[in-house]
Order: sequence, then structure tokens, then C-alpha cells
Amino acid sequence: MGIIWFLIVFPLVAAALCVISRDERLRGVIVCVSACVIAVGSIVLAAQHLGGTARYYAFSSVAISVVLFIVELALCAYIMWRSLSARKYGVFVLACVQALLACVAEFGPSGSVEVHRAVYIDTLSSIMVLIIGIIGSGICVYAVGYMRDFQRHQDELARQGKEFSTDRQGFFFAVMFAFLSGMFGIVTFNDLAWMLCAWEVTTVCSFYLIGYTKTAEATANSFRQIWMNLIGGIAFATAVIIIGVTCSVMELDRFIAIGALAPMAAMLPVALLALASLTKAAQMPFHTWLLGAMVAPTPTSALLHSSTMVKAGVFLLIRLSPLMGVYVSGLPRMGINPVGFSVILVGCITFLLASLIAVSQSNAKRVLAYSTIPTRGRIVTCAGIGSAAAVWAAIFLLIFHACAKSLLFLCVGTAEHHIGSRNIEDMDSLITRMPKLAVLMAFGICGMFIAPFGMLVSKWAALGAFVNSGVIVIVIMLAFGSAATFFFWAKWLAKIVAGDPSAENVEGSVHTTEWCALGLMALLLAACSIFLPAISSGVVTPYVRQLTGGVMRMPSAGDLVLMAVCAFVMIAIPLVVALRARSIRRGDGHQPYFGGVGHGHAAFMDSMGQQVAYTQRNWYLEGMFNEEKIGMIGTVLCTIIAFMGISASVGLAVVFFGSVI
Amino acid sequence: MVWLSVLLAILFVVVAPVLGCLITGADRILTARMQRRRGPSILQPYYDVRKLLEKDARANDVVQVILLALSLVMLVVAGVCLYAGANFLLCILLETLSSLMFILAASVDPSPFVQVGVQREILQVMCCEPMLLLFAVGVYLYTGSFSVSSLFSTNLPMVVWLPLIFIGLVFVLTIKLRKSPFDIASSHHAHQEIVAGASTEMSGLSLALIEVTHWYELVILMSWVGMFFVTSNPLSVLLAILAAAVVFLLEIWIDNSFARVKWQVMFKSSWMVALVCGMVNFAMFFFIDSNGLVFF
Repeated sequence: MGIIWFLIVFPLVAAALCVISRDERLRGVIVCVSACVIAVGSIVLAAQHLGGTARYYAFSSVAISVVLFIVELALCAYIMWRSLSARKYGVFVLACVQALLACVAEFGPSGSVEVHRAVYIDTLSSIMVLIIGIIGSGICVYAVGYMRDFQRHQDELARQGKEFSTDRQGFFFAVMFAFLSGMFGIVTFNDLAWMLCAWEVTTVCSFYLIGYTKTAEATANSFRQIWMNLIGGIAFATAVIIIGVTCSVMELDRFIAIGALAPMAAMLPVALLALASLTKAAQMPFHTWLLGAMVAPTPTSALLHSSTMVKAGVFLLIRLSPLMGVYVSGLPRMGINPVGFSVILVGCITFLLASLIAVSQSNAKRVLAYSTIPTRGRIVTCAGIGSAAAVWAAIFLLIFHACAKSLLFLCVGTAEHHIGSRNIEDMDSLITRMPKLAVLMAFGICGMFIAPFGMLVSKWAALGAFVNSGVIVIVIMLAFGSAATFFFWAKWLAKIVAGDPSAENVEGSVHTTEWCALGLMALLLAACSIFLPAISSGVVTPYVRQLTGGVMRMPSAGDLVLMAVCAFVMIAIPLVVALRARSIRRGDGHQPYFGGVGHGHAAFMDSMGQQVAYTQRNWYLEGMFNEEKIGMIGTVLCTIIAFMGISASVGLAVVFFGSVI
Repeated sequence: MVWLSVLLAILFVVVAPVLGCLITGADRILTARMQRRRGPSILQPYYDVRKLLEKDARANDVVQVILLALSLVMLVVAGVCLYAGANFLLCILLETLSSLMFILAASVDPSPFVQVGVQREILQVMCCEPMLLLFAVGVYLYTGSFSVSSLFSTNLPMVVWLPLIFIGLVFVLTIKLRKSPFDIASSHHAHQEIVAGASTEMSGLSLALIEVTHWYELVILMSWVGMFFVTSNPLSVLLAILAAAVVFLLEIWIDNSFARVKWQVMFKSSWMVALVCGMVNFAMFFFIDSNGLVFF
């Protein structure tokens, strides 16, 4: 248990050091050393528990409870202060409600429930600890070089008299580390009140990080993030109070055990916790906060998408999956679980619609955001189904998405600083200006949609699980959604391969810390792909068996063939990109056909003898895949479904407790 | 049974290009006859490829040849999976990967005709994908597994239970076979406004590789049609071949009777067909044989 506390407390120490140190170089050293320590700590912790049975520590502490309660109130006070100074009175009210609920949870009847085993670690937690500890701290290392360039750019803006952000890098790194600490808390606290506090820590940290630049847009987006996540936090706090009052427990594992025996009794808290998870996981109708988060410096986006914020949401959903299976015995009316069913539908609709929207996006960061949201959607759907195969798929989606998405975000961030654009249309010059980065980016894209993440897990395992769940409508949504997925990844990849020979190499000025982080992510992605069978049989399958009682037959002979093919493609495409970079450098190629007299690679002679330049754009089909229209449909549909799920579970709770009384 | 799988897989690798070449030749003759021309010899596709291979290598980029070779390899492996009776989803995934390799190979060329063709190729894959996945789901619902060999232990041909999925498949085959009205990205006929689309800049070895890939693809696509007709009775294979022949004739007739449509029409119609066919057919499946399916 010592290592768990170390992982929670050490990042806070690192955060304090970051604030104190004024010198940029010293801070860089502190960040890198702390990141290494955290990574080693998480590996040591995970190595002891991966694949084993869950370990619950007989531990409880009033002092820690009090400290965490004060932290939570302080966080609420911070939000109140910020919302008042920004005149966001709605957010102020929500923060007040949150503080009130925290007090009720502490001093009400649920506060007196005794907790015996406040801390635990099992396989899922270990996987999360690895993701947070390695990928999260890798992103912190990346941020060292990135923020240096970022601040230089901001100073440039200041000289030009434009809107700029002052140098608050110390706080930036401090909040990044505090974020990691909060995440470690979420995945290891068994005490629901403690978990609630950690949950709020991550909400507020991402609020600060999104609003870091303090521009009008950033402030507006950070407040959108906070009101959506405060709703989730309020749902979480309410669930904690209800669990304390009705079930007389405060521990997550005991609550799940009670829920498995008496699904009706646990239905309402499960619904509320699921709502909280959906807000964190940026599912429709709450998806807009994650898009707004794009205004923040890239390490923030990478952190939110790959290892922290949205991961917390799906982590809780996977934990709750035993209580969400579509068919639960002991329920009236066909035995369909309203919570599981709503979660499945929200996840699936989000998957389909967000994938469709991604087709129309040309901003690389927005494409990445619109591919994170559907991936979460798929995990949410899998967790909602709750069968062995579905949970297996959900965990692998979690792992691969963390590696591939962090790699891609970091690639886009570095590209943005060096080619001055995050537009995919400008990525064709990447292969000449930053050949190594282009190879890594191609590798990340392959990781997202071909091998083994996209094809194996999403189509193969998830499709099988979805068909077996019996809810055919989600299979149809999956089929259309993955077609759209192909479209937007393939055209991005084609853009990189196409290449623009008329540019110079600018890769020399990339910071070493950035290369280290990029290399680490690429290495992790490769390792996860190569060792997928081992991870499956040694870690995930035993856990899935403990959780669902079901057996997952993976990998079979067919799966091995697919894995081999995927691994082959995964190596082949980046190699091809590298070869392409070389052949462009050597000036291979010939005069292309223009239907007239060509002039170089991007111009031709018109009938008047004038030289005319031509440009070529990818297709975005904005008319058909309109972001606003589709987003609106998703928001309306998912809001209705969420309301239906919650009201159905309220109804069930009333029926159940009515009959008990 | 293992030796049978291996034998069939080897047979596919050897026979499919020959068969594909002959079918392509027959296609050209039939098309010519429909247009009151005499048409070339049935071996003309073979002569074409032989001539292409004799040309001096002037490939735009060695990368392009590698990618086209990968495209061919992926497709051959897809066919091997199919004929070895392995997982059908795997076959479809490999077919998609093969298309991706072709798209990347073409995108190497800077010509505007090629780049427009590439975008249209990607769009075509997006048009076909949902129907193909629903086809795989249909196989799963019907036999209880994704394995192709399980179709050979059924009493009734799959088309009886999944007629609309069959119609939907025939619809997207027009796109896959690059036939009018959906020959948007590239066409076998010389009336394409973007010249030869994605393959405009290719010559010699590159073009030969594409031709051979098309031969294999033709056999795989026709085998998908045949899958709807096989049962545990060995004679059903004859029925499957007959059905594939009829569908192919139908495609040639459609090719010669319809004008090319805009991509919007192709996109909307193919997704609509997939949605309606999938929904209605699975609903039928549910009503007739409800084994625990929830149809929302």
C-alpha cells in the first residue's frame, strides 16, 4: 500500500517544486526526474498486481477523510471564486450545490457509515496506473520542450500587441502533476467519498489547464467544461449519498456486490454514477467540452484524451459493468436493465455521430478529438453490454487508445510548432520538412485504425460482442460508424504519403524531450501490438473471468492470422512513409499529367500561355456531414435517452423501496 | 478437413488469376456485343498484362510498386481465408486493407486527376463498408459463427433467410466492380472525366499489378455471391456458380444501360440500401426466428 500512497503524494510534491522553481531549466530537470520516478513507481506497483486477484487493504483513516473533505470544499470555493469573477452565475450555483452535497455526504447519515477497506488495487487499476504513470508522465516530459516553444510564441504575440498568455509555466506543470495524483486516487480509492474528491480534483485540474492561456475563447471553453463536469460531479455526490443511506456501505466493491444481489436497490445510484462517467468520458450530449479543450496547449489535450480525464469516465463504467448488463434477473418488464440499455444507446449513438462529424474536420486536433469521442463511445457500449467479450474489448480499446492517441497528439503538437499549422491540408509538407515525425504520425494513425486496435478489437471482438448482445440496432450503427472512420483516417494517411517536394527539413529544432516522449509512445504502441496475445492471456482474460464469470476464447487461430497481418501492415506503412521521404529527397518522380502543358509539380500553362498554379484539397463533404446538424441530433437524442434511463431507474427505485417499506 | 482447406486455398492462389482473366475477357466481349462491336479475343486481358510487363520500368516511385504489391498480397490472403473456410470478417477486413494500399499507392502521384481519383476511391470504400460488415453479421446470425466453412453445414441456402442482404450486396458489387453507374473513381471505359482516375499516372509494372489484383478481386467478389447459395449438399456449389454467373451478367447489363451518377447519389443510395436492407432483413430474422434478439 505504501507505493499507492507514494504515487498519490509524490506528484503533489513534484507540483510544489514546479511552483517554487523560477528557473526554466531547473524546472525542466525537476519535471523529467519526477516523471521518471512516477513511471518507475507505477511499473513497480503494477508488476505486483497485474493479472492477479484484487487486493483490498484493511485501512481507513479519519484524518485523510477530513483532509480530502477540506480539499473538496477548497476546490468548490475555487470554482465559485472563478465563476463569480467571470460572472458565470450558473456555474456558481452548480458549485454551491456541489459543496452542499459534499457537506451532506460528510455530515449526513452516509458520513457515519464505517469504511474498512478504503484502498485497493486490482488488474484494471494496475492497467490504469501504468497508463497514468507512463503515458501521463511521458506527456509531462514532452511538455518541457513544448511549453518552452509555446511561451516563446506567446512572447512574440505580446510584442505584436496581440492577445497573449503570461508565463505561468510553473503552475502549468504543477497542475499536470496534481492531475496525475488525482487520477491515481480515482483508480485506487475504494472509499466512495475519497473517490469523489479525486474525481473533483481531475475536474478542476482540467478546468485550469483548458483555461490556461486566459484568452476569451479559452475561458469560455473552460467554463463549458466545468459546468458539464459539475453536473457529473453532482450526480456522483448524489449517488454517494444514496448509496450510504440505502445500502449502508461506502465502499465501491461492497456496493457492486450488493448491486449484483439486488439490482433494483442499486439501480438509481448506478444510473447516477453512469451519468457522471458519461460526462467525464465526453459522450453526447456532453461531448462539446472535449472539443473546447482543443484551445489549450497540446500537452493538455494529450493528457485529457489519452491518460486522464476521459479515461476516468470509462474506468468507472467498466467497474460498474457487472451491474449494467442488458439482461439482469430480478427486474420487471422483460428484464431489460434501463441503465445498461441507455448507456449502450448513448455510447453507440455517440460512436456513430461523432465518427460522421470527423469526416468533415480538417483541423488535425479536432479530427483527433472526434476520433476520441467515438472510441469512448465504443468502450461505453462494451461496458454497457457487460459480457466477457465486451469487457475484454473495452479494456483493449482503453490500452491501445491511450498509446496511439497520445502519440498522435504529440505529433500534431510538434508539427504545429514547426510547420505553423495544425491543418491536415498542410500535412503533405510534413514528409519533407519533418520526415521522422511523418513516420511516427503514420505509425500512430495505423495504430488507431488498422492494427490491432482498430481492426482487431473494434470490429472483430466488438462486433462479435455486439451481435451476441442481441441488440441489433447497435451493430448497424457500428457498421456505418466504422465506414466513416475509414474515410477520415485514410485521407489523412494519403495526405502524408502524397508529400510536397518543395520544402526544407526543419526537424533539427525539435527539443530532445519531445523526441523522448514521442519515442516512448511509439515504443509503447509497438510493444502493446506485439505482446497483445500475451497481455490478453496473462492479464486481461483472467481479470475478465473474475469480473464477469465468462470465458474469453482469445486468441484463436483466426485471431493469430489477423494479428500477424495487422502487425505486418503496421510495420509496412511507416516503412513505406520512410521510403517515400527518401525518394522525395532524391527528387524521384516525373512531370505529372495535367491534360495540357505542365509546369513543375503544382502548376500548368493555360491556353493563354499563362502559368496557373493548382491546389488540391482533400474531401470533407461538409454539406453532408455537417458538424452542427449532426451534433444537434446527437445532443437531443442522447439527452432524451439519458433522461429516460435516469427516470426509469428512479421509477424502479421507488417501486423497490415502496415494496420494502 | 484441414487438407481440404489447404488444397482449396492453394487452388485459389493458382486458379483465381486464370479465371479472373477469362471472366474479364468475357466481360469485354459481352460488353462489345451489347454495343454492336466485335470485341477483342477472350485472352486480351492476358496479352495486355504481358505487354505491360515488357515495358521499361518507369514507375513514378518505387514506393508505389511496393504498395501495389502489398495491395495484391492482401487480396490474395483475403481469398485464401475465404477458400480455406476461415473467418469471413477477416476476409472483408483484408479486402479493405487491400483497397487502402491501392489508395496510398495512387496518392504518391501529384497529378490532380490522380488526387481527385484518390478521394473518390476513399469515398467508394466508405460506401461499400457498411453493407459488407452487415453481410458478415448476416453470416454470423445465420450460422452462429463468422467461419465460412459453417455455411457448408446448413440445410437451406443463406439467400432464403437473408434475401435483402443479398440484394444489398449485389448493389455494392457494382461499386466494387467499378461498373456504371458507379464507376466514379476509375473506369474500364474511356469516357471518364478524370481520365483513369487513381491509375492515371501508372504504367508498366504498376498497371500490370493492378490488373492482376483486379482478377483476384473479381473471383473473390463472385465467391461472396456464391456464399449465399451453398449448403451441406455438394451439388449446391454448381448452383452457387450459376448464381454468380447470373449476377455477373446482370452487372454487365447494368454497366451498359446506366449513365454514371454523381458521387452524392452513389453515397446516399449505397448507405440507404445498406440501412434498409440490414434493418429490414434483421427484423425479418427476428420475427421468424427470435432467439433472444432485441430489435429496437
